[in-house]
Amino acid sequence: MNRSLASGPIVWLGIIVTTCLLLVLFQTMLWLVLPLLLGVVTYYMLSPLVNIAIARGMTRARAVFIVTALLSVFLAAIALIVAPKISRASSNWKNMVVGYAESGVKLIANAQTTLEKMVPYLHRPATPPDAEKAKSGAPAAAAADEARENAVATEALDEKVAAFTENHSGDVALELARWIPSLLLVPYITYFFLLDGPRFKRFLVRAIPNAFFEKTLYLFYRVEDQMRRYFQGLLALTALDALCLGTGLWFLGLHAPFFLAIMAAVMAWLPYLGSIGGALLAALVAASDFPDNHWLPYEVLGLFIGVRLLDDFVFLPLTVGRSLRMHPLVTVLMILLGGAVAGISGLLLVMPVLGVVMVAGQIIGELVTDQRILARHRHARHLQRQRAHIDLFTG
Amino acid sequence: MLFGLTPTRDPRLQLLKNVVLFKDLSPRELEMVNGLMHERSYIADEVIFDEGEEGQGLFLVLSGRVKIVLPASANTLLLELGPGAFFGEVALLDESVRTAQARAIEDTQIVALFRAEFLSLLDTHSNIASRISFQLAKVLAARLRHAVINAHQHHQAT
Repeated sequence: MNRSLASGPIVWLGIIVTTCLLLVLFQTMLWLVLPLLLGVVTYYMLSPLVNIAIARGMTRARAVFIVTALLSVFLAAIALIVAPKISRASSNWKNMVVGYAESGVKLIANAQTTLEKMVPYLHRPATPPDAEKAKSGAPAAAAADEARENAVATEALDEKVAAFTENHSGDVALELARWIPSLLLVPYITYFFLLDGPRFKRFLVRAIPNAFFEKTLYLFYRVEDQMRRYFQGLLALTALDALCLGTGLWFLGLHAPFFLAIMAAVMAWLPYLGSIGGALLAALVAASDFPDNHWLPYEVLGLFIGVRLLDDFVFLPLTVGRSLRMHPLVTVLMILLGGAVAGISGLLLVMPVLGVVMVAGQIIGELVTDQRILARHRHARHLQRQRAHIDLFTG
Repeated sequence: MLFGLTPTRDPRLQLLKNVVLFKDLSPRELEMVNGLMHERSYIADEVIFDEGEEGQGLFLVLSGRVKIVLPASANTLLLELGPGAFFGEVALLDESVRTAQARAIEDTQIVALFRAEFLSLLDTHSNIASRISFQLAKVLAARLRHAVINAHQHHQAT
């Protein structure tokens, strides 16, 4: 017997409006939302390990302690290995930025030249003085002028990039320092999610009126299941992307291929923009590390496009796609909407937030349109009111 | 501790120990199952679940009394249950709808074991969940046998 109405346009409008409002709210308190989000991701990453330890006979408290201690040791080891490299790189980061900017300019210039060679129609017509010089039989002088112009342009770019890094290095350092306390919260949050998550859930369920109890419990289960599948899918997708990209970059001969691949795979958490950014970053590194190999950046871009196609047709349906069960058009529209209302944080958070709000909205929609459940709730309140009045009126 | 989550020795463990479903569990295992349960209080005459609702789990009476009725058949009384008895157990196994209504006869305290949590128990502690499932299967088999005998007697009588 189904006494509720199906999720209609009003429920869906509510879902979209709630998602947008939450994204705006989260944008204003990103310092708290980001560690919470990372805490949730780490929770879903570690909870299978905790369950295995509990299944082997450990108490929850001991299993959580051991798993989070192992994670802390692992993170500390990574920090010890990476910190000296970052320190060395940061002392030279202005030169690095200038170097990458130059490589980027050269990459664009090379692309332009290659295109002009392949498609003669795109070749720039010679300016009148150049044409005169060429006619007057001085092609060497014209080439020298062009080289001089290029050198001046590159020098101007170097100066601009150097000035930019000089002006903004303090801001970047301050921004990083501002995030450190928030990020230190992540293991702490994860520890308590793992330890007290089930008890906290029961604590919340206690506040639910009896008439809504079973359906709300189901809502909790669906929301948790949605989040678990989304984040575990995202982690699996990141690992697969990192593996494919790392192997490809290693095959192409780039330095630190797996470090670059992990960075690009994590950047891909930002829908669309992240993937493009990761590919451009790897192409820049290729252009900078191998300036004589003009084709390498294109090979890197080709690799990224190939992995992206693998993502769309193989990995995504196997991992994240299954968890959200969302129409592709809705996904794209919501990503655009998320970006429009809350910028980068909106792009990053829109899918998990929409996933949770969607399930919650559908169930709440069912609850508030189920007349029988509402009647039962009113009946229970009536009984409580009657009980409260007993013995008040005497005589 | 935050949210009053301090773990204390739960008095309902003693009652759970006497429930047929949990009779094969050790005290530590029982404590683990107890940690999965949700406690609810119902006032006399309050509906616990309704006929036709999608069931999500099993209910166990801690105190008070519960009646199982058929509202569609002029509230025909099927069962009256007291402390230690359980009902709605089929919902632990599948997502079918409730076939009757459960209503508190007097002020009643119950605990609910939710299907999703029971399934996660099957993943993490299959030995505990399988012993509960075995006891549940025995209870369901006894009820089926009883129903068959009743139907047979009814057939002979008519």
